[in-house]
Amino acid sequence: MTRSAEDSQASMPDSADPVSMTSGEQGSLRLVSRATHIKELALKNLFLLCAFVAVMGVVLIFAFVGLRGWPIFAEVGPIAFLGGADWSPTVGQYGIWPLIYGSLVVMSGALVIGTPLAVGTAIFLSEIATPRVRGIVRPAVELLAGIPSVIYGFFGLLILRPIVARLSDGLGFGAVTGWLILAIMIVPTIATLSEDALRSIPDGIREASYAMGATTWQTIYRVLVPAAKIGIIDAIILGMGRAIGETMAVLMVVGNAPHIPDSVTEPIATLTTQIVMDMPYAAGMHRTALFGMAIILFGVSMGLVALVRLLSKLQSSMDAGR
Amino acid sequence: MNKSVTNIIALSILWLAAGITVVVLFAVISYVFVNGISQISPAFIFTWPHGVNAEGGVWPTIVSTMYVTVLAMLIVAPIAVLAAVYLAEYAVQGRLVGMIRFAADSLASVPSIVMGLFGLALFVEAAGLRFSMLSAALALSFLMLPIVMRATEEAIRAVPKYIRWGSYGLGATKWQTVSRIVIPAAMPRIITGIILATGRAVGETAVVIYTMGQAINLPITPLDSGRPMTVHLYVLAMEGINLPAAYGTALLLMVLILGFNLGARYFLRRASKRM
Amino acid sequence: MTHRLVRTRTTAGSPLPRATRLGLALALSLSCVAIAGCQAAEHDNEITVTGSTTIMPIAEIAAEHFMDVKPDTKVLVSGLGSSAGIETVANGSSDVGTSSRDLKPSEQDLRLYDTPIAIDAIAVIVNRDNPVDALTMDQVRAIFEGRIENWSEVGGEDRHIGLVNRDEASGTREAFSKIVMQEARFDRSAAVLPGTGQVRSVVAEAPGAIGYISLGFVNDEVKALSIDGIEATPESVVDGSYPVQRILHFFTRGEPEGLAARYIAYVLSDEIQQTVVRDAGFLPMRGGVVR
Repeated sequence: MTRSAEDSQASMPDSADPVSMTSGEQGSLRLVSRATHIKELALKNLFLLCAFVAVMGVVLIFAFVGLRGWPIFAEVGPIAFLGGADWSPTVGQYGIWPLIYGSLVVMSGALVIGTPLAVGTAIFLSEIATPRVRGIVRPAVELLAGIPSVIYGFFGLLILRPIVARLSDGLGFGAVTGWLILAIMIVPTIATLSEDALRSIPDGIREASYAMGATTWQTIYRVLVPAAKIGIIDAIILGMGRAIGETMAVLMVVGNAPHIPDSVTEPIATLTTQIVMDMPYAAGMHRTALFGMAIILFGVSMGLVALVRLLSKLQSSMDAGR
Repeated sequence: MNKSVTNIIALSILWLAAGITVVVLFAVISYVFVNGISQISPAFIFTWPHGVNAEGGVWPTIVSTMYVTVLAMLIVAPIAVLAAVYLAEYAVQGRLVGMIRFAADSLASVPSIVMGLFGLALFVEAAGLRFSMLSAALALSFLMLPIVMRATEEAIRAVPKYIRWGSYGLGATKWQTVSRIVIPAAMPRIITGIILATGRAVGETAVVIYTMGQAINLPITPLDSGRPMTVHLYVLAMEGINLPAAYGTALLLMVLILGFNLGARYFLRRASKRM
Repeated sequence: MTHRLVRTRTTAGSPLPRATRLGLALALSLSCVAIAGCQAAEHDNEITVTGSTTIMPIAEIAAEHFMDVKPDTKVLVSGLGSSAGIETVANGSSDVGTSSRDLKPSEQDLRLYDTPIAIDAIAVIVNRDNPVDALTMDQVRAIFEGRIENWSEVGGEDRHIGLVNRDEASGTREAFSKIVMQEARFDRSAAVLPGTGQVRSVVAEAPGAIGYISLGFVNDEVKALSIDGIEATPESVVDGSYPVQRILHFFTRGEPEGLAARYIAYVLSDEIQQTVVRDAGFLPMRGGVVR
């Protein structure tokens, strides 16, 4: 692999971009001593090795979580595992459908609430805010991303849950409470990426729209959002990943009942929360099932990343075609 | 006329969206501050928790959190920075680089609970490191890797090309140029990235809960176990008997996170001044 | 030694009065001197105590105090659930396994030595505004099975019953499941909470809620129901008439020896039994309870 990278490098034509500086400068390397040349080459391969740690990480996660979780698919069977409606590991029932359902319900609601908030904030930041207002809102969004999920959970447990309990005349644990907390938590992910997408639109396009007599809103709605569409969709997909994978905050507010509830204000469980609830006592096949759930979570998160890459490839080929 | 009314309504809604975001942030922060501030005292910070319901202080949890964070930073910073140097300075767009980038993006989006189970399976059990600072730091470093890599790569790419040309023009080799010119110029932004990743590690719960253990302990060697602040807060909050200590822990955690974010901001400002 | 004592104890409120603490320190240091001979023989001055999250507080505080008077020792306590406690002590990865349940039939042949250390009585709690004061064991079971869903069915208001359950790793749930549920399945729609205090505060806020917690944690915020006509009080637990109770155990491989034996003896001493055990919501094993 190292070789092929170098071959392609050697065949790169000279130009002024920084990458091909390498080949230009490799020619000059022949002017320096052999020792220096070898040292430079060794360093380059060391750096490549470091970059390869990321690949190694993914492979290791896949291998170790996969090996631990695989037997559940092999022995219980993918249909009984994924489609089974009964999660009663103590009596040998390993159906995780209620948990998948829970993850989907909690994630969708969070997206429905969080996306308008986040995209609205992104548009506000890139199109409306004066530098001074931006100086407040932008750091606020970044700080929201930095607050630990256990603190969101703490806030949700002690502030949001009692409010939901009073309004619904129930316990306050349930999908709704999860939605509210998760919606806040995915705002930074979606807002930051959407704002990047909006800012990458050249100013000329805005000026053209205004010159035609369009209002700010018309420019946003008819010109900018369509232009940044793919970037915003990417942002929402990554927000979706964050929502599905979020653990501690959700755990503290959903009530962790591994069944399909009648209403959104009744306790529900997700894949992530059930792993944390069960890990302390799970053994044998039960533990394997939890690792099996981790495989699913890992697969979904990688799938979403792959989707985002596919979309950006699509966009760049569209741009090239224009 | 109609057009401008729509415009005003739409813009107000956008203002509202941004307003809600800011208000929520302040609600969370002030909630933690208001309830936690009366708990904070030197005794709370510097003594051990004791009693059935963890009365007293949180010192060992602070040490555990700092210990594992610093350890993870030491592990991840050199690797991530050099990896980013490769991607920004040496790599040529191709299948290999595509794979590395995809892996980094995937790592960045791995749910923390999955990372926790992975750390448990690999470091705690297979590698025999047991519940320890080292196991937790290694698991956390995979989480931090893509964050530091991305920040460093962006920082390096932001260094103007003519600076490099100057260096090459003087006969410097590539490594000399990178190590003496490019990295120093990108340093403030690299540090910003490292600080932000570290802040992320401080607030992480699901990863450390399965790699560090939960027993309250003052770690000395990297193979010692411990209980970080986030896990302490989770246990106190869910146990629900000693909420004052939970508020105090939440506040300390929040202050730490705010500190990291403000620190990162400071370095970033210095960076933009220098450039 | 005194330095450590001062550092950890006087800086913040401790459950032990100072005089008791000093006396305790003195007594323990004397006993340490007395058994110094046998102590020299053992290599390990570190033990691990693993198991029941219910017992964890007692085990942890006892360990803390124990280490204060014996600074060269280390007692590491972790709570992973009773099953994990029994498993780890049986396979040798911990020295003392704590459990809030008796050994299962499958665990009988592990040859574990049992030291009972406290009694835990479980109270069934409801909101203070709930007019229901008493239920039979069968009614409680029917409620937690989901067969009774409205308070009017047991003589209360017309209000949906909100079930609050504990997590499966909880020893309290295990005991409740055995004593009250008789292994019948809990209703799946119950909220599952991993902590006593949360169960209590949720029940305290929600008018229709019902949950169960250790008797020692019952306070003014909630109401403990009479079960089968017996009020839930320390007296009715001690005389054996209150039906929902269990014994907490320390398990060791064979009779405890060395550091483990000294630690267990300390847990059974009045210093721990009358303060820490009570603070943790349990009733002391010693001090009048012999059955």
